[in-house]
Amino acid sequence: MSHEHHDHHHPRPASAVELRAQALEALLAERGLVSTDAVDAVVTLYEQDVGPQNGAKVVARAWVDDAYRERLLTNANAAIAELGFGGIEGDNMIVVANTAGVHNMIVCTLCSCYPWPVLGLPPTWYKSSPYRARAVSEPRSVLSEFGVTLDDDVEIRIWDSSAEVRYLVLPMRPSGTEGWTQTELEAIITRDCMIGTALPTARESAAA
Amino acid sequence: MSADPPELATVDRALGDQAPLPRDNGELVFEEPWQGRALGMGVVVLERTGAPWSEFRRHLAAAISAHPATEGESAAGAYYRCWLDALEALLAQRGLID
Repeated sequence: MSHEHHDHHHPRPASAVELRAQALEALLAERGLVSTDAVDAVVTLYEQDVGPQNGAKVVARAWVDDAYRERLLTNANAAIAELGFGGIEGDNMIVVANTAGVHNMIVCTLCSCYPWPVLGLPPTWYKSSPYRARAVSEPRSVLSEFGVTLDDDVEIRIWDSSAEVRYLVLPMRPSGTEGWTQTELEAIITRDCMIGTALPTARESAAA
Repeated sequence: MSADPPELATVDRALGDQAPLPRDNGELVFEEPWQGRALGMGVVVLERTGAPWSEFRRHLAAAISAHPATEGESAAGAYYRCWLDALEALLAQRGLID
C-alpha cells in the first residue's frame, strides 16, 4: 500500500514499525481488547504523573520511626528500597537532614539531575538556568522568593546533584503534627520540601 | 467505570532491571507518538486480560535479546519495537490474535 501525503506536520511517510503499531491497535480495538481512550489515558498518566508521593512516604516514615531515619541517613539506597522504591537512575541516593542549625537545598548546576524515583519529574524551575546558578551564588535570596525565610545563623548547604549522586532533603517534622498518622504526614510533605525550597507546615493539611 | 491504569511505578517494578522503560533523567522517552501508543496498549491489554507482567516481561526480554537495535535505530525505537513483538507474542500464545 502506498502511503504518500503532503501534510506539513508529517513530512515522512509512516515508518514500518509505526504502521505495525497502528495495525495492532486497530486489531485490538476490533477484538474489544483496547479502546483508544484507554490507551490515551495511560499515555497521559505516564507522561505526567510521576509524583513526589514516594519521597513523601520515605520522609513520613523517617519522622515516625527513628531506626528507619537512621538507616535512611546512613544508607539511603537500602532504606528507600525497603519501601519498594528505587530504580535504574536512582542508585546513588544520599539523604541530607535539615536540623535547627542547617538547611539543605538540592540543585543540579550542570543540567537537571534529580532523584526522580522518589520525587517524580523535576519542576520546570529546577531545570532553569537562573535557579541552577542562583541556588549556589545567592541561596538566601532564592529561598526568600520561595517564601522561605531562615534565621541568619542557619547554615545553608547546597548539594549539587550529578548522574552519580542524587540528593533528597529530609525536612524537619513541623510542630503541631504530634500524633498524626503517617498518611496524614505524607500529605504535608511536598515536592519542594524535599528539594529544600519549602518547609512543611502543619497548617497545609487542614486545607487539604 | 473502567479501572484506573496502574501507577507508572508499578510498571517500573514489574519490568525490573531486565527491561526498564527508556528514560532520560527520569522522564519517559517517547521519540514518536507510536512509542507511547505501544506502551499504552501493553498496559491496557495486561489489565484487560489479567495476564501477569512477569509473562510480558519474559516475552519482552526475549525480543530484546533476539532483535537488538539495528543500525540507525534509536534505543527507544528498538525498545518499543520489541515491546510490540512481546505484546504480539503474548496475545498469540493466549490465542487472542492469530
